Amino acid sequence: MSMGEVELSCLAYAKMYLHASQFPRCSVNGLLLSSSAAGGAVCITDCVPLLHTHLSLAPITQLALTQVDVWCSQTQQRIVGYYQANACASDSSPTPCALKIAEKIFEQCNNAVLLMIDGEKMFPGCRVPPIVMYERKDARWALKDKHTIMLRQWEETCSIVNQLFSSGDQALLVDFDSHLDDITKDWTNQKLNAKIMELVSPANGNV
Amino acid sequence: MRKINIESTLYSQLIIDDENKLVIKFQPKTNVFLYCISEMRDKLRKWREENYRNSEQIVDVGEELINEHASKLGDDIWIIYEQVMIAALDCSRDDLAWSCLQELKRQFPDSHRVKRLAGMRLEALERYEDANKLYDSILQDDPTNTAARKRKISILRAQGKSSEAIRELNEYLEQFVGDQEAWHELSELYINEHDYAKAAFCLEELMMTNPHNHLYCEQYAEVKYTQGGLENLELARKYFAQALKLNNRNMRALFGLYMSASHIAASPKVSAKVKKDNVKYAAWATSQISRAYQLQHLPAGVMLTSLALSISSKTPYTTAASAGVAVVIEIHGRRQT
Repeated sequence: MSMGEVELSCLAYAKMYLHASQFPRCSVNGLLLSSSAAGGAVCITDCVPLLHTHLSLAPITQLALTQVDVWCSQTQQRIVGYYQANACASDSSPTPCALKIAEKIFEQCNNAVLLMIDGEKMFPGCRVPPIVMYERKDARWALKDKHTIMLRQWEETCSIVNQLFSSGDQALLVDFDSHLDDITKDWTNQKLNAKIMELVSPANGNV
Repeated sequence: MRKINIESTLYSQLIIDDENKLVIKFQPKTNVFLYCISEMRDKLRKWREENYRNSEQIVDVGEELINEHASKLGDDIWIIYEQVMIAALDCSRDDLAWSCLQELKRQFPDSHRVKRLAGMRLEALERYEDANKLYDSILQDDPTNTAARKRKISILRAQGKSSEAIRELNEYLEQFVGDQEAWHELSELYINEHDYAKAAFCLEELMMTNPHNHLYCEQYAEVKYTQGGLENLELARKYFAQALKLNNRNMRALFGLYMSASHIAASPKVSAKVKKDNVKYAAWATSQISRAYQLQHLPAGVMLTSLALSISSKTPYTTAASAGVAVVIEIHGRRQT
């Protein structure tokens, strides 16, 4: 993979999709993480779902960002991007709040990406990934060329997401907001991660 | 939906008789599966009265009740049809919504309440013009019909026309000043538009009329914190504290208290006394947070480390991994120092 390319793993995609599906009437957001070294292409290997209420209020956003940052440094990951799904499914343009947070991430990571989930494409049987990606170019966020976005094993990823829904495991997803409502819920989603990785493994014929 | 398997004793059997009462009849031993109808009705009533939006569950329970036990529901059936219809719209179950609507139309042919439900179905199908026509006809008949007015505002919101929705909602509230739901909706709209001063005003109205509601206090505090500046931070801290007084398990309020107190303490503009007091508040909050996590046998480590980092040396957000390169989260251009 070369510079400017972005790879989105099944794990990251599945959790983002589940997050948007869990709160269909709200705007949701989260952070995109990478466990690979900096430089070269961006491999988004995981994501942390953050909020589904009051995305533009500061205290919980600040708290969540700091938490995730500390957790990343403990687990050898970096924050490389931000995702958001708007409540209004027909409008997938980045909000001022999205741009601000993405800006801050860009200050730390010079190939950071901003990912908007396109609600209109989130229906069963849609052949195209429901995502729109932006990158920083000439001091603004510009649409990324679709051909530089890699979603390896797209068919398998879709099938894994469907399996999560049919097994009821999509309800396992916890975002930071839910954690604050009930602190026994794990916002790092260890359980769900394990389930997804199991489905991804070659033993399940998914490679 | 729960089926209760009641393994009867040798001679008795629990059944629901024709008057809908649970009775014991003495009969030879049999296994009896009972749908606990009264339990399902109670659940639906609770969800109705407390305004839950658990639409999938409502459809599950409600559809069963309507299809299998309609005759046993008495007059309750109409309000259940309404509740299930709205939940069905929420779950894209137009088939179920349509059949509920038909039953209601048959029973109440000229009702404005049923007309509004028909309008909601049109909204769900994104036929906004047709829905608006329906609501306009209700308002022509009855200009004080608040439900129709609120639906029209919801349509504006669904279409993304926030400023128009805000304008209409303001006009509505001039007439119907006591409508809590409307005040809260307006505060949400203002927050989305980043008009925090006006959002705060709406929340102040709500706090005045609902002084025991910890959620309004906490939301107000969050808005004040977001506005930034020393005065707003102090107000934020006070209202986070008030929210905690009303509900000491509100974690958002606890974290909010910590963050606002810490920012005030870290500010170069405050007196030594104010600094000392806020350091105390922050320390108290930390101990409560730590206690809350330990009570649940959860590791508090990440939480507390990140808290300390979140206000270290003028920067609210620091990456430990890249020492010396601080990332400051300025939400809407206001530095939180």
